[in-house]
Amino acid sequence: MNAPTLMLVGGVVAFLVTIHWVRNRDMRERYAIGWLFMAAILLLCGLFPSVIMRWAHFAHLSYSSAVLVVSLTAIYCFSLFVSVALTHQYRRNVRLMQELAILSQRLERLHNAAKANPADEVVH
Amino acid sequence: MLPGRQHLIVLPAYNEEGALRHTVAKLQALPDQFEILIVNDGSTDRTSQIAQELTRTSRLKLFAIDLPINGGIGVAVQTGYLFAEKEARYHFVIQFDADGQHDAASIIKLVEECERRGLDSCIGSRFLGQGEGFRSTFTRRLGIRFLAYLISTIAGTRVTDPTSGFRCVGPRAWKSFAQRYPDDYPEPESLYWCIRNRLKVGEIPVVMYQRQGGVSSIRALRPAYYMVKVTLGILVDLLRRQELHP
Repeated sequence: MNAPTLMLVGGVVAFLVTIHWVRNRDMRERYAIGWLFMAAILLLCGLFPSVIMRWAHFAHLSYSSAVLVVSLTAIYCFSLFVSVALTHQYRRNVRLMQELAILSQRLERLHNAAKANPADEVVH
Repeated sequence: MLPGRQHLIVLPAYNEEGALRHTVAKLQALPDQFEILIVNDGSTDRTSQIAQELTRTSRLKLFAIDLPINGGIGVAVQTGYLFAEKEARYHFVIQFDADGQHDAASIIKLVEECERRGLDSCIGSRFLGQGEGFRSTFTRRLGIRFLAYLISTIAGTRVTDPTSGFRCVGPRAWKSFAQRYPDDYPEPESLYWCIRNRLKVGEIPVVMYQRQGGVSSIRALRPAYYMVKVTLGILVDLLRRQELHP
C-alpha cells in the first residue's frame, strides 16, 4: 500500500468515525468541524497526490517527509485548539462548582433559620 | 481597627481534620468584626463534618462551604472571595491557612496596616522579622527567594515573601479576584497582578508555626512544577494590559 492510498483510507476512516460520534452525540458539531476538515485534507491528499508532491518538491523535501510535516502540523494545530477548549471548559466547571457550593450553603442556612423559627415559615 | 467594618477570614481546608478545630479556636479571641468562612476543598477525611460542627459552636459567626471536588488552593480561596462578593458586607478578606501555621493575633496587625497605609493587599512575611518561628526547608526558601527576586525586579517593588498564604486583601483587589484568580499556587501570581495593576501592596513581619496537621500542597515532584508554572504565570502576566482602571 503506498502513501496516497494510506491517506485515502485514513481520510475515509476519520470521516466515518467523526460522523459516527456526532450521530451518537459523543462529539459536539463545534469540534467535529475541525476533525472533518482534517479528514477532508487527508482525502484530498490521497486523491490528488500530485498536490503534496509539488509542495514537497518546492520545499526540497522527500514525499514521505512532506506527508509527515503536513500531518504533524495538523495534529499540533488541533491539539492546541483542544487545549484552549479544555481551559475554557475547566473555568466554566470551576465557576459552576463554586456557585453550587455557595448556593448549597445558603440553602442550608435558610433551612436552619426556618427550623429555628417555624412560625416564620410560609405554608403554601 | 476602624469600627463598623466587617471582615471575612477565609480558611481554605483540604484534609485538615487534625488541625481545623485548633485553628478556629485560635481565631475566637478576635473581635466580633470578624467572620470566618471555611472552604472545604473536596476533602476525603472528616474536614466537612468538623467544619459543620464548628458553625454551631464558634463564638464568631462561622460559615462552611463544601466544594464537591478538590479544585486546589486557588479555587478554594476564590470561592471565599466569591462568597464575600455575594454577601456584600465585608471590607477586608483575610486568607488564613487552616493548618494552624499562622498567628491569629497578626490578623489585626494586617488589617490595621491596610487601613493605616491605605493598602489594597498586605502580606504576612516570614522573612521581615527576627527569624522566629518555624523555618521551612532550604530548597523551599531558595524557591521563595527566587520568586521574591523575580517579582521585585520586574515590578520594582520590594517583596520578601510572595508565597505567603497569610494575607489581607482590600475590596478593589478581592472583587477582581472573585472574577479571575490563578488556579493553583496563586499567591505569587496574585501578588504580582496587584502590583501590575497599580494596587498598593505592603508586607508586615509575622511568625509562622509548624503545621498542626494535613500535608503541604507542594510536595513530591511538585516544587519543580511549582517554580516553572509560577514563573511562567508571572512572565506572561507581564505581557498583559492593565486590567483594573482607577
